[in-house]
Formats: sequence, C-alpha cells, structure tokens
Amino acid sequence: MAESSFEFQLERMFAESPAAPDRELFTLRVVERLDRGWTARRVLIGAMGALGGVIGAYEIIGAGVTGQVAAYFVQANDFLARHVAASVSGALAPGGIYVDVQAIWLAGALAIVAAGFGLARLVREI
Amino acid sequence: MNTQRTLAGVHDLELVTLGRTGDRAAFGELVRRHSSAVRALLRRMGADGATADDLAQDAFLAGFEQISEFRGEGAFRTWISRIAARSYARRWRREARAELLADGPDADDPQAGFGVGVGADARIDLDDALKTLSDPERVCVSLCYGVGLSHAEAAAALNAPLGTVKSHVKRGLDKLRSHLSPDGDGGQRRQVSG
Repeated sequence: MAESSFEFQLERMFAESPAAPDRELFTLRVVERLDRGWTARRVLIGAMGALGGVIGAYEIIGAGVTGQVAAYFVQANDFLARHVAASVSGALAPGGIYVDVQAIWLAGALAIVAAGFGLARLVREI
Repeated sequence: MNTQRTLAGVHDLELVTLGRTGDRAAFGELVRRHSSAVRALLRRMGADGATADDLAQDAFLAGFEQISEFRGEGAFRTWISRIAARSYARRWRREARAELLADGPDADDPQAGFGVGVGADARIDLDDALKTLSDPERVCVSLCYGVGLSHAEAAAALNAPLGTVKSHVKRGLDKLRSHLSPDGDGGQRRQVSG
C-alpha cells in the first residue's frame, strides 16, 4: 500500500500501539467467552445425542423390534442347545461332560469383548 | 498463570497450531499479545472505547472459529486486525454513515482517541492527527495503512465505489501529512507548546 516514505512512516506509526493497562482483564474476558461457548457446545451435542437416543429407542420399541429380537434369540438358543452344545460337548469332553448352552453364550460374549479391546488397542497404535 | 508463563516464549505460529486443536489457553496467549493493537486500531478508526472492546472481543472469538483459515503467510496480528477492521467497517456502514461515504464531505468529526497514558510522541501525534480527519477519511486511511488493505479491498469492505475510497484516502493523507510533518500545523503547534 505504501508508496512514499511518508506512507511507510504512517504504516509504522499505525503498527506502534501501546500495551493497554487492562490487557490481562481483556484476555480473561475473551477466554471466559471461549470457555462458555465450548461448554455450551458440549452440552448441546450431549443433549442432541440423548434426544436422538430417546427417539431411536422409542422407534425401536414402537416397531416391535424387541419382540422380534427376543424371538430370534429364543430360536438361536434352541439351535445352540440342540446342535452346537452337543457337538462342543463331544469335542471337548468325550467322557460325556455336558457343555451348557449358557457357557457358549458367555464364551461368545467374551470373544466379542476381547475383539473390542483388540480393536481399541489397534486404533490407539495407529 | 503457570500455563501463561510456559506459553510466553512460544512463537505465534506454534500458538496458532495449538489453537487449531482447540487449545484455549494457547489462543488466550495470542489474545494477550495482540489485543492492545487490535483495540488501538479500532479506536483509531473512530470507535469509542466500549465499542472497540466489544468488536475486538468478537474479532478474537471469530478468529478462534476461523483459525484453520490462517495459513501463516502473514503475521497473526495483521490477520486478526483485518477481521476486526472489516467488522468495524460493516458496522460503520450500517450505522447510517454510508451517506457520508457516498457524499464525501470534508467535515471533521473528532472522536475519542487511544492516546491517554501513551508515552511515545509518535503515537500521540498519530492519534491527534487522525482526529482532524472526517469519519470516512479516517476509516479509509485506517483500512489502507492500519491493516494494509488495497484501495479495492477497502472499497469492498465498505461497499463503496473505488474512486470514492481513493479520494478519501488522498484527502486523509494530505491532512495527516500536513499535521504530522515538522513544518505542518502539528509541528507548529508542538513548537509553540514546547
């Protein structure tokens, strides 16, 4: 912008500004407003998440999905009891010790938890 | 306080990088370093003390939101000052002063400066000299020489014709030159008072 020595001088004069005596107070006010905005944003996101969860749960219950899931669960339980438990019992305990179907459910759940931990670890490493 | 001491020696660009990650303490250090300059600029443009402080706060909050747009090509102070100056220009335009800009009058409209308690003569001189400018001249000169906007950028910020901005800048510069040069009015006044 500056084309003459006077204009350079003017730019320099504009650049020289005194340190305001209430600089720290001003900074505090800005940081407080930043913090308030940040907190409000977190609360808003949390509230939206909770609201979404409630609406989702309401829709799932309303659509009768829970009944269907329960029916599938009963079917899966019967299947496990009839076929898988007997096979596992035969493979693991040839002497005739019966492996309960609940043990298979538990083993499956533990495997899922272990996979979750493994995945979390992998993500952290990456 | 401890964080502030730690951040005191950190370069602006590193603080900006930290600010991008949402580090509000780092951005607070940038506010501490540059708020005086931004507030002084707004006062020099013609804002009163409270308005200058409000606009400067808003500019820093906007700066925090838009910090990813700062690429470090210029100084952080210039970048944040431009946000504040454009914000003041928008406000000034809204507040029925636009007709002043369109008509291009020479009437003086002195307003409170930032010179209270300032030690350096040059700063007092500039603040005094700016008071001799009309409102449009003061805003146009500040946009061009305070934050380094081109005439076209200043015209865009003020939504005013380029020629009008150029003439305000020219008239403003002439007045400042006359006031600030040793043989100008300001110099004579200083010699008399000294």
